Amino acid sequence: MKANEQPSFNFKRICALCIAVYVALVILLYFLMGHQLHFRESRGDIALPVAESGTVELAQGAVIEQTFSMEVQRLQEVSVQWGTYYRPNSGTATMELYNRNDGSLILSKTFDVSQIQEGGLTTMTADEPIEGLCNTPLLLRVYADSAPGAAASPLMSISGEAALNEDLKEGQTPFSLTMNGQPAEGVLCFSVTGEDYIWTGLHYWEFTTALGAAIGLYLLLVYRKWTQGKHSVLANALVAVQKYRFLIKQLVNRDFKAKYKRSILGVFWSFLNPLLNMLVQYVVFSNMFKFDIPNFPVYLLCGNVVFSYFSESCGMALTSIIGNAGLITKVYVPKYIYPLTRIMSSMVNLLISLIPLFAVALISGLVPTKAYLLLPIPLFLLALFCLGLGMLLAAAMVFFRDIQFLWGVLTTIWMYLTPIFYPVSALPEGVQAVVKMNPLYLYLTFVRSCIIDGISPEPVLYAQCAVIALVTLAIGAFVFKKSQDKFVLYL
Amino acid sequence: MRKETKKELRERQVRDAERQRKKVIEVRDVSMRFRLTDDKIMSLKEFVTRKLSGKLKTNEFWALKHASFDVYKGEVMGIIGHNGAGKSTILKVISGILKPTEGTVTSHGNIVPMLELGSGFDMDLTGHENIFLNGAILGYSEEFLQSKYDEIVAFSELGQFIEVPIRNYSSGMLARLAFSIATVVNPEILIVDEILSVGDADFQEKSRKRMMELMSGGTTVLFVSHSLQQIREMCDRVVWLEHGEVQKVGATDEICDQYECT
Repeated sequence: MKANEQPSFNFKRICALCIAVYVALVILLYFLMGHQLHFRESRGDIALPVAESGTVELAQGAVIEQTFSMEVQRLQEVSVQWGTYYRPNSGTATMELYNRNDGSLILSKTFDVSQIQEGGLTTMTADEPIEGLCNTPLLLRVYADSAPGAAASPLMSISGEAALNEDLKEGQTPFSLTMNGQPAEGVLCFSVTGEDYIWTGLHYWEFTTALGAAIGLYLLLVYRKWTQGKHSVLANALVAVQKYRFLIKQLVNRDFKAKYKRSILGVFWSFLNPLLNMLVQYVVFSNMFKFDIPNFPVYLLCGNVVFSYFSESCGMALTSIIGNAGLITKVYVPKYIYPLTRIMSSMVNLLISLIPLFAVALISGLVPTKAYLLLPIPLFLLALFCLGLGMLLAAAMVFFRDIQFLWGVLTTIWMYLTPIFYPVSALPEGVQAVVKMNPLYLYLTFVRSCIIDGISPEPVLYAQCAVIALVTLAIGAFVFKKSQDKFVLYL
Repeated sequence: MRKETKKELRERQVRDAERQRKKVIEVRDVSMRFRLTDDKIMSLKEFVTRKLSGKLKTNEFWALKHASFDVYKGEVMGIIGHNGAGKSTILKVISGILKPTEGTVTSHGNIVPMLELGSGFDMDLTGHENIFLNGAILGYSEEFLQSKYDEIVAFSELGQFIEVPIRNYSSGMLARLAFSIATVVNPEILIVDEILSVGDADFQEKSRKRMMELMSGGTTVLFVSHSLQQIREMCDRVVWLEHGEVQKVGATDEICDQYECT
């Protein structure tokens, strides 16, 4: 049924507001994302090979040279791993990085050999990331002035060379190791890290301006249709929001109150629940499996908060239509209101459970950063994702009541496929690929990046989260819309 | 242009007058089909096994067949018919709960259904909270409810019990509250399925008066009743439904007389 009353809102003002909010968001995002908008950890980093043996005793006169090239756009660090023969050593060692094209010295550093630990790393760090070395032939030279018998030895990997050289692309210098001028088989245990430019950082303003222009154009189109008395999707949505705002508020209020009805602690459970869950998991998992996760309590709590929002909101949306059968068969209200309000009342819960999350983060010594302000993004997108899935489930539930039992099993599987209490790296590679396709993993990674690392995730994660949310919502809304007229016949 | 004859002129004037009476509900060729399976299939397994074994029989049943009529602004329209004639179905189609299989219903204005009282109540909320919840479901605005809140409480005669969860209410108290909320508004279109009489004798008299007030207050009313006496008392026009088809539409007395003869 169409809303026939002309709602009394100013369309022009809403358009202007949209544009203003968009501009403000774009600028805010630019500052909040900061460094992560422009650079990401380079995909061309060279990882430390697994050490297999020592090279030579690096006494006075001994020189070890490793040639290599890398696909790192901005070089930050070069490290070398050492062996000490398990004895106290003395003297100074020097690491130098040369550009072989023009023979210039790029980085160098001298260390006190006595400070080097067995298997320890010495690292050269660039003050400012060095650019223009991508795919340039490079030479890493290590030498020392220690006396024989008191010298350390850089470690090497013999089998690692083949793997590294196999991955080489055309035009890159092969890895080759020389010891005291003699070519040797194997590769020095060294690592290179740096960062790459990202498209979003280079074209941020162009991109956002283009998007803004597209939004402006769309609004203009909608406005023209509106003045001509035609209804477009957006105008209809605005009318619906205006008309059903009060109803949504009341229903959310009811759901929320109904959840804690007749319990003594009431709303307090909203933040007691995730805390207690976290505690149990902490006790179990820090004793049973020894995962090396920094800030494990915060890691667990993030997982719990995100996953319990997902399972609660979808579980509630699932029964939203059949649970309100009494209303649906008697009063006309757009049916999407019911799953929508369930998602929203769960969101209130989630927001409350963020309080203990922040508290635990603070107690663990994590200082709040500006990345906390990015949290609304993953949470909003997560809500959209849940809304889409919830609508799909609610519609399916009307026709087949088996769905609720299936869903119970599915959430359990889903929980184990979400890295709530384990790191993804602990999984075998095949399973890792599956887990990384799990939408909840993406949202969870986003949240953890903001809270634990205190930085914005890579821009590509924003896109992934948004695309998954919108696609799910589109599918859910489509199925719901197609089937909603039949609901009343099956209730 | 040819000069209109007197007859044509008069016809045009009648047509214009007709047009000026604003139609608030237009029911056009509405048909409603229900598929009746032997019993409702509620599980996937059942559905698949039946589908495969070819036992998925459906009996079609047309609750409404090509029903068409108009309701004009401000009139009280009665709907009469025997059991199973489709009276409740047409009300549900008009209020938007059911979507007709064929045909269209156009309505202009806020429809408040009084199909069943208190269907939007939540037993764990207080009377106060339920007034707002139920009001929102019926499509009232927040400002309206706030301004009418005292009136609703006064009419329901609940007094201090309004702040008590309604699971503790007696059925009479519940009915009084529901009635007070549903009738506080001056809806553009009111749908009434049988006159509601709730509470003790005093309250029944009070609620009957309120209904009369509403019906004579310029609201368009769709009224279903088995009591021909009530229909004659209140309705301007009557639609007579029989087996899902519109038998006749016309002035109250005329149609009621014919209906009584059958």
